[in-house]
Amino acid sequence: MIRRTKRSIATAVAAGATALALALTGCAPTAETGVESRPLRVWAGSATPINHNFNPFNVDTAVHATYGAIYEPLFFFNQLSSEPPVGLIGDSYEFSEDGTVITVTLKPDLTWSDGEPLTAADVAFTFGYGPNTSDDMVSAQPVDDTTVVLTFSKPQFTRASLILGSTWIVPEHIWGEIDDYMAETNPEPVGSGPYVVKDFTEASYTVTANEQFRDGAPAVKEVQYIGIDGNQSSQDLLATGQLDWVGQFISNPESVTGNGVISTLNLQQDPTVIVTCSSAELGCTGPQTDPAVRQAINVAIDRSTIREKAFAGLAGEATPTFMLLPRDEGWLSDPILEVSPQESDAAEASGILEAAGYTKGVDGFYAKNGQTIELDLFSPDGWTDYNDAAKLIAEQAAEAGIKITARTVSDADYWTPISAGDFQLAMYGLAASLVADPYSTYSQYFASTSTATVGDDPVSGQNYARYGNPAVDAAIVAAGATQDEATKRDAYSTIHAEIVRDLPYIPVVLNASQSFFNTKDYTGWPSESDLYAVPLPYTSVANAVLLTHLSPVS
Amino acid sequence: MSFYLRRITFYVVTLWAAISLNFLLPRLLPGDPAQIMIGKLRRANGGRPISEEMIDAITSILGSDEGSMWDQYLAYWGRLLQGDLGVSSTRYPAPVAELIAQALPWTIILVGVATVISFVLGIVVGAWVGWRRGTWLDHLVPITTVFQSIPYFWLALVLVAVFSVNLGLFPIIGGYDFFAFPAGPEWSWAFVGSAVTHAILPATTIVLSSVGGWLLGMRNMMVSTLSEDYVVTAEAKGLTPRRIRTRYAARNAAIPSLAGFGIALGFVVAGSIVMEQVFSYPGIGKLMIQSVQGLDYALMQGVFLIITITVLAANFFMDVIYGFIDPRARHNG
Amino acid sequence: MDDAQSTLDPAVADDEITSNRAIAFDSPAAADAVREASRETVAIATPPSRRFRNLLPRRSAKLVGGLVIVGAIVLFGILGPLIAQPPRDSDNPSLEPPSADHWLGTTKLGYDVFAQLAWGAQGSLMIGLVAGTIALVLAVVFGVLAGYFGGVVDEALSLLTNIMLVIPGLPLVMVIAAYVQRSEGLGDFARSSVLVAIVLGITGWAGSAVVLRAQARSLRTREYVAAARVAGERAWRVIFVEILPNLVPLLAAQFIFGIIFAILGEAGLSYLGLGATGSITWGTVLNDAQTGQAVGTGAWWWFVPPGAMIAALGAGLSLINFAIDEVVNPKLRLAPENARQVRRAAKAGRGVTETGVIA
Repeated sequence: MIRRTKRSIATAVAAGATALALALTGCAPTAETGVESRPLRVWAGSATPINHNFNPFNVDTAVHATYGAIYEPLFFFNQLSSEPPVGLIGDSYEFSEDGTVITVTLKPDLTWSDGEPLTAADVAFTFGYGPNTSDDMVSAQPVDDTTVVLTFSKPQFTRASLILGSTWIVPEHIWGEIDDYMAETNPEPVGSGPYVVKDFTEASYTVTANEQFRDGAPAVKEVQYIGIDGNQSSQDLLATGQLDWVGQFISNPESVTGNGVISTLNLQQDPTVIVTCSSAELGCTGPQTDPAVRQAINVAIDRSTIREKAFAGLAGEATPTFMLLPRDEGWLSDPILEVSPQESDAAEASGILEAAGYTKGVDGFYAKNGQTIELDLFSPDGWTDYNDAAKLIAEQAAEAGIKITARTVSDADYWTPISAGDFQLAMYGLAASLVADPYSTYSQYFASTSTATVGDDPVSGQNYARYGNPAVDAAIVAAGATQDEATKRDAYSTIHAEIVRDLPYIPVVLNASQSFFNTKDYTGWPSESDLYAVPLPYTSVANAVLLTHLSPVS
Repeated sequence: MSFYLRRITFYVVTLWAAISLNFLLPRLLPGDPAQIMIGKLRRANGGRPISEEMIDAITSILGSDEGSMWDQYLAYWGRLLQGDLGVSSTRYPAPVAELIAQALPWTIILVGVATVISFVLGIVVGAWVGWRRGTWLDHLVPITTVFQSIPYFWLALVLVAVFSVNLGLFPIIGGYDFFAFPAGPEWSWAFVGSAVTHAILPATTIVLSSVGGWLLGMRNMMVSTLSEDYVVTAEAKGLTPRRIRTRYAARNAAIPSLAGFGIALGFVVAGSIVMEQVFSYPGIGKLMIQSVQGLDYALMQGVFLIITITVLAANFFMDVIYGFIDPRARHNG
Repeated sequence: MDDAQSTLDPAVADDEITSNRAIAFDSPAAADAVREASRETVAIATPPSRRFRNLLPRRSAKLVGGLVIVGAIVLFGILGPLIAQPPRDSDNPSLEPPSADHWLGTTKLGYDVFAQLAWGAQGSLMIGLVAGTIALVLAVVFGVLAGYFGGVVDEALSLLTNIMLVIPGLPLVMVIAAYVQRSEGLGDFARSSVLVAIVLGITGWAGSAVVLRAQARSLRTREYVAAARVAGERAWRVIFVEILPNLVPLLAAQFIFGIIFAILGEAGLSYLGLGATGSITWGTVLNDAQTGQAVGTGAWWWFVPPGAMIAALGAGLSLINFAIDEVVNPKLRLAPENARQVRRAAKAGRGVTETGVIA
């Protein structure tokens, strides 16, 4: 009888395991050397599994490469400068006197990535297709192969960036066949941009240079967009040299830039605010409908502490005019309004409330008619900077005698109440205007045409604060009807005076937009002195403009 | 035979109950998926109004069903039997069945292999610790309880921070190296190697957190069994220690562990959901989390259903094995 | 072997093994049944005070260790908040490593980590207790009632138990939590720790119910239970007076399991953002640490202690469970001691055996 000893069995198992491990690691692919032979690796914010969707009309679901790298608008409006827009498909454009007719001249001899010619017919088709149509549009006609005339019923001066900079030109010979543009996933897109799709998996997708691109194929031959599920993982990948370009919030950027490969730029643009449901006439309920309460909160919060603790010192100082300074400083008439108060002033807050008839109760909180006023402030789960800011705001308001309760809600529970007006206070982010003109900010967020009564969603615009002020409305109309700078400056002054007093949105900070990119292996990135595009991979159009400026360091 | 019949009946009834619960819960959840979707589109469009056609398109696919609850229930069963699990709203318009089919193999392989490793390791080591009862190994047992009580995700994050980021020994995220395989999974040894390397840390997390339970259970049963009189009889008959250990003691001691496999599997599934989030592992646990956070009702329903079916199948499989191993169960029903 | 036991293990009282001697058996199952019966006759034969003391776990290193750990944590939860700084006071520098001012450093917002841990201990322990109690009550209802009554009641309750058992726990909790937290009218309560505890409690009883049912079924056949029923006692009285007291060690063990399960479950839920975000528990502290990039910024003092506390509490409770196990199944305590003494004897040359079952 053969007695296999324990030792021999153990040896056999160990030998087998070692052999297997060696075989598998031996088969692993070796690391690629040379930056020309590997793609530029980007994380634009996709989570896994990545949606296999290149349909530019699926604005919420399509992947980032769709917007700019594959499909392009007519012009590129650089949000960071006041320079005129750069031509992409379009070469130049002209408004008629009254602003109702836009004549666009296209560049000659353009082709789609499948070889078909790109003509004015495609542009005209795009403007008349699907969600691109609007009530204002009368017609979109090609005059010849390179000229398109867009006719509207109302002046369109202020919608130039939307029409010319955010409408994705699609080929008529493909989309003319598609009826249901919402259900189409467009897995093999044909566009005019510098890249075409090469590979797609649920973990990453790769685009490769478009040989038919009008400026010649870009120097960076391949770009790989990956999917990640958490900021921590992205930070880890950056730090270990596996990612080349990311736009995310990293509170200790030195941990990533310390290796000498990654550089960073921090652009502070989008205002973080407390959106309040401000109008009792439109159905808002709660103490925040009293402007005095909003003004008191405005001076009670300590913005410098919030910037330091909730935003890791990376956010900028907010302005109650909601303009992007210094880009828009030409429109600033009162220099006091340049910055919101950065330190808290509990005494001033008390003064404001007491003048409005509130009295401090025994619990230290202000009350009206014997009832302590209580405010509810919410922010979405996982948005750490908002959540931290909300906690600090509640703490600072309490020191001034205002009772605010901060809570977090799930993502879906965040948007719906704000949209419907079913809230008191919420942490929110406004978008800075795309051009060096704050018109779109005021029209979107402050005009009474952009709002709805509580219970209904606004049909157009994002005036969730339910703000309605006839003086502001008149000023917005006046500013939109002309291109005369003096008129506009006066209109904006009026608007500033009103919104700084009424505070339907209480400014908190100017949120940091950090970008991290590989300057060792690639050149051509934007820099402080040359901000030719926003260096964030999730910004449409700008990301493609940036990609075409890049070249590998040899 | 009646044993198998009873178990099959039980599983069929449980499956029906799970599917009905699945049908009921999202309908109890307040909120309209179509409305949420429309709201998202408006925001993404920069506040521009959405056309009527778009609203119609969304409502037709995501909107609330017509008819009474019973009609909806029957319609749900009908769609289910055709394999139509609906359309995801967070990943519109990808069909839920497709998303799940992509993710399921990864979870089954990772969680399956890790659970089997954990189970076998727990049983074998538990048997050995039980055999060497009364020695210093008994002091090892409390240490395993510490591992069992550690939160899964905490352990995973610590392991990643130490082994992946600081020491660089293991990959940070993913099911495979998507930089080396941009075209996705392929049938090659290199890919298998990449997948295995990426599975080591997630599997280690699962094994470390769950092996303690089986080890303890097996050790306790082993100690009890070794005190039984038939074991003394076997020894008196002159059988070798190894034979007694494996064919008499361990076999009988393992039975409760097998029987309790179903309960333990639930814990493993729970832990793997969180673990997939930490490692960005492309499994269905991550889909589950995303669907709950984004209130994607169709996806939530679909993933919940698949998880339940898989656990049921695993339990049924274990029951078959258990019936095979333990004749008492077969005959006593 | 029993004779050998009485000489080798003086810790075993004589009256406990008198009835174990000279019992014939023809199969392992029969031996088991006899042993069960004899254990019960011991229960009747011994006076009540001795019987109660027999139910208590023997003092052993494991029990003492477990009690010390759990006791320390409970004390921390009670006294900690009294001596610590306010847990939500951001007036401190952020992300400070442990120092004299802040024993465990500060978080990103400047909160004192020690204070957060202390309040977190209160929160987590409360969730554990509430969820554990709810789970235990449900397990008794579904387990003991099913086991005692048998028949249709048993079939129905067993079916429900098995269904709850097989449907995976965390997905169910996630869906229920998402549902409940979105319900209108709950307001602040929706994100409170009590609600989380309730959800965890009503989803975590199935495992305990199975164990209790098996025990109740075997107890049902005892003579004293039959005697009580023949004497005309009502069912609920039999359950409360005759059956439940004999299940006390098992109930304690399952209760402890329930607490561990609840605390771990709450930590997992908080990580996923579905936890008690309004309160401070170890799970929410961990979630804050993780979303606040504690690992990425190297703030180990924020991330490690909450997890370590959970692990310590779990370990302590498990050790207590061990000791309880040794009461329920005395072999677990006796056999290793026996084996140890046999080995020592063998080594000293007084060997009973050199190879064999005790190797």
